[in-house]
Amino acid sequence: MIMETRYQRHIQLNEVGTEGQLKIKKAKVLVVGAGGLGCPALQYLTGAGVGVIGIMDPDMVSISNLQRQILFNENDLGKNKALSAKEHLQKLNSKVELKAFPIALNHDNAAEYIVKFDIVLDGTDNFYTRYLISDQCILHNKVMIYGALYKFEGQVSVFNYQNGPSYRCLFPSPPEAGIIPNCSEIGVLGVVSGIIGIYQATETIKVILELGTILNGKLLCINLLNHQSTILTLEKNQKEIDQINTHGTAIPIKNVDCFVDFELSLNQLSSKEKIKWIDVREHDELPRVNHLNPLSHTVSLDLLLNSKDKIIAFCKTGTRSKVFVQKMKNKGIKNCFSLKEGAEELKKWGLKTQN
Amino acid sequence: MEIKLRYFGQLQELTGKSEEVFTVSLDTVGALRQYLIERYPKLDELNFKMAQDNKINSDSSPLNGSLIDLLPPFSGG
Repeated sequence: MIMETRYQRHIQLNEVGTEGQLKIKKAKVLVVGAGGLGCPALQYLTGAGVGVIGIMDPDMVSISNLQRQILFNENDLGKNKALSAKEHLQKLNSKVELKAFPIALNHDNAAEYIVKFDIVLDGTDNFYTRYLISDQCILHNKVMIYGALYKFEGQVSVFNYQNGPSYRCLFPSPPEAGIIPNCSEIGVLGVVSGIIGIYQATETIKVILELGTILNGKLLCINLLNHQSTILTLEKNQKEIDQINTHGTAIPIKNVDCFVDFELSLNQLSSKEKIKWIDVREHDELPRVNHLNPLSHTVSLDLLLNSKDKIIAFCKTGTRSKVFVQKMKNKGIKNCFSLKEGAEELKKWGLKTQN
Repeated sequence: MEIKLRYFGQLQELTGKSEEVFTVSLDTVGALRQYLIERYPKLDELNFKMAQDNKINSDSSPLNGSLIDLLPPFSGG
């Protein structure tokens, strides 16, 4: 009875009814990224009564998020986004099973999480995670609800729906690192992320209800400055999809520079890559990784500024190296990353790749 | 043949235009891409997609549309 009252405006619709509302209740949606797109989508999916909603985000709420991520407020500053989002959403609808994952989706854990859901809503802000979601959705036959932003514009599409095209059919490979800026680099009008995120929630609900025309094989491009709205059709590229299925796992994209928080894992590196390693630890900390010839963190800035190789800083646990990389970024060194694993793992990796 | 081009996202900044009209005689979508890259060299690094008359085409497709949309990938979220 309570269910009927809460969802009455849905149930009143002939196109939804009690049967449709039950479909929504049975659905499981994973929202990757509780940011500009994820927040508004989460609010509507929770309000709509989606049975199980996963919220994945490793980041903390910062003051510059509040201009568009209006699920959060000033009391959330410094808290993890997934945990904080769950807290707010649970108050909106206590009947929805909300699962907060305060971690980043990566090549090790993606399959484990994605298989538990029917639909994955892509609220990411980087190509690394977007291609990972796309590949995993192909491998596990999940629908991907895509949305992305650029300043006053947005793109929306539904991939892997009823054997339709995937993200790689649209963009087989990502652009070179640093070419396409994300919101934190170039800015975005707050409401644009709200509109695109709600578009994604709309498509999610339509997919659950099998209602209307889904953006399957179609890319919606919206420009909120001039109200230009264009739907482009795109074809499935079976070769791109077969490539993922044959590979059997997601294929990491080469330019991990798109990885927004400047961290990377050893499994994202190829042994052929030229890398300048920087040891951020003190000289007496063990184990040493001399076989990789790491530079000291007191290395001259000029040497790093002129480096064409990827620069990767490491320490014991990946914390000090992150601070170091942030400093380097502030000094204008772009191609610099922090290693998630510590020296122990790096030593093993170094020995393995040298053999 | 007269074609109207519409630039999306970052392509507007790289070309300094949101749209423009050209008269060209080119065979394929790929040939138009090369033509545009010569005109705006910065486009080369963006691996943008091209749609003609609202249909996203590969570079080998014959150029026969009158409305051409140029789409870069978007990253923000």
